[in-house]
Amino acid sequence: MHAIMTQCKFEMVRIFRNPYFVFWSLFMPILFYFIFTNIVDTGVTDEDEWQAYYLMSMTTFSVMGSAIMNFGIRMVQEHSEGWSAYMKLTPFPSWAYFASKMFGQLTIHLLSIFIVFLAGFIINDVSLTASQWIFSGIWILIASIPFLALGSLVGTMRKVETASGVSNVIYLALAILGGMWMPVRIFPSFLQRLAEWLPSYHFSDGAWNIVQGASPDWQSYFVLTAYLCIFLLLAVFIRRKQEA
Amino acid sequence: MKKIVEVKNVTKCFGKTTAVNDISLTIKKGSTVAILGPNGAGKTTTISMMLGLLEPTAGEVKLFGEDPKQLTVRNRIGAMLQEVSVIDQLKVREVIELFRSYYTHPLSTEELISVTGLHEDVLKKWANKLSGGQKRRLGFALALAGNPDLLFFDEPTVGLDITARKNFWDKVSMLKTQGKTIIFTTHYLQEADDFSERIILFNNGEIVADGKPDDIKNNISTRSVSFQSRDKHAAMTLVESFEEVIHCYEKEDRIYAVTNDTDAVLAKVFSQGLPVKHVFVEQGRLEEVFDLLTSKQKGVL
Repeated sequence: MHAIMTQCKFEMVRIFRNPYFVFWSLFMPILFYFIFTNIVDTGVTDEDEWQAYYLMSMTTFSVMGSAIMNFGIRMVQEHSEGWSAYMKLTPFPSWAYFASKMFGQLTIHLLSIFIVFLAGFIINDVSLTASQWIFSGIWILIASIPFLALGSLVGTMRKVETASGVSNVIYLALAILGGMWMPVRIFPSFLQRLAEWLPSYHFSDGAWNIVQGASPDWQSYFVLTAYLCIFLLLAVFIRRKQEA
Repeated sequence: MKKIVEVKNVTKCFGKTTAVNDISLTIKKGSTVAILGPNGAGKTTTISMMLGLLEPTAGEVKLFGEDPKQLTVRNRIGAMLQEVSVIDQLKVREVIELFRSYYTHPLSTEELISVTGLHEDVLKKWANKLSGGQKRRLGFALALAGNPDLLFFDEPTVGLDITARKNFWDKVSMLKTQGKTIIFTTHYLQEADDFSERIILFNNGEIVADGKPDDIKNNISTRSVSFQSRDKHAAMTLVESFEEVIHCYEKEDRIYAVTNDTDAVLAKVFSQGLPVKHVFVEQGRLEEVFDLLTSKQKGVL
């Protein structure tokens, strides 16, 4: 147990020391949030609603980024540099290592959610009810798990360069097509239909629903669970094949 | 004495190449064993199988009587591999702390620092940005983190300067006095000769000699009579015909006759009136044994 705690602690320390994390998962979403709610005139009628809506977009954007990029690329790096092999010599079991990484990463998600929410509160004085803050936070935390699975799929790649290239493309494509940067309703209709099949859209949609006083649609639960299973199965399958 | 390591009829193939071919050996508690051999002899492959990092194609490896992959076994072993790989975004002190947490009875951080001689300024550095020598020291500290009973060092001194090398062996001698079992690979004969009680010599994936350094030297004849001669060809043909001569070769303008009985060879050389000058009688050095055992003359065994 002591080992798991220590591992978790250092995993978090490592994430926070990673400049890419700070830039992509904290600085960029907050900057975007500031720009699209204060500088660019988006022509929205209900200013308050837009500010809360876009805060959810940017929080999910932040969390999705660290799940796919940080988690996946780290795994590739540790594999390619022989650290994973070296870990096999220690009595720390690999499941515990993986679990510590997951737990550390989820704690980072929670912190990111808190920081971006706080930024929204400070920048635009976003006011939600206490239960809306809490439930949207919980939703984002839990619904980030399929993206961790996607991250572990990225983590099966052999080279850090490929992994970071591929995950960057996936990350930005999912963010834009899923309506995190701009709302899906302004998309052409075929892109709107596509978005409904993307995990990123449902990830944000659940949070959007919550801040608008509703709860996440059952489709969101379904799509996100389906993606979780697909990503996990693929990741396990590829790992098995590599180790054989 | 207790067997700490047991390797039974182990073979390892990579595709069509056989890296290790049907080797068997046991290592007793508290011994220091050198696995010696030229590059590509199968030393690292053997160590990797002992550590459970590679699965033998055939045969069985046991540490402390159990599968090397058992966590209870891993709690008692420490290893320094050729490539010391280090996690990023952590400082040296943090990596040591992290590693200590994995073991049930770790050495204290202070002990690890004093044993490995990691200075305060190094402890504050990023672990993945150390120089080669510092990385080795960290690797050494990590190998000792769990206060292991059995230690593996794979080519521990490659790339170290003389002082660092001496330092390393001083520490190893200290660990030896604590009763630890130490297995190291090297291609430096001198290290094997100086620091081990037993040498297991590998060549082409097989064990070609196994024993105390002195016994290996004595058992294998490397005493030789050497001389210069005007008619090298005739001299060599004649000397080769002596029954005491194991084999004969020419090196740097001298003819060497390898034998167990230098006296008899000398007597014959003179009684048969060979035109020779500058006659030397030499006792073999370990290097020669090494060359002999790992070259084509494997037949002498």
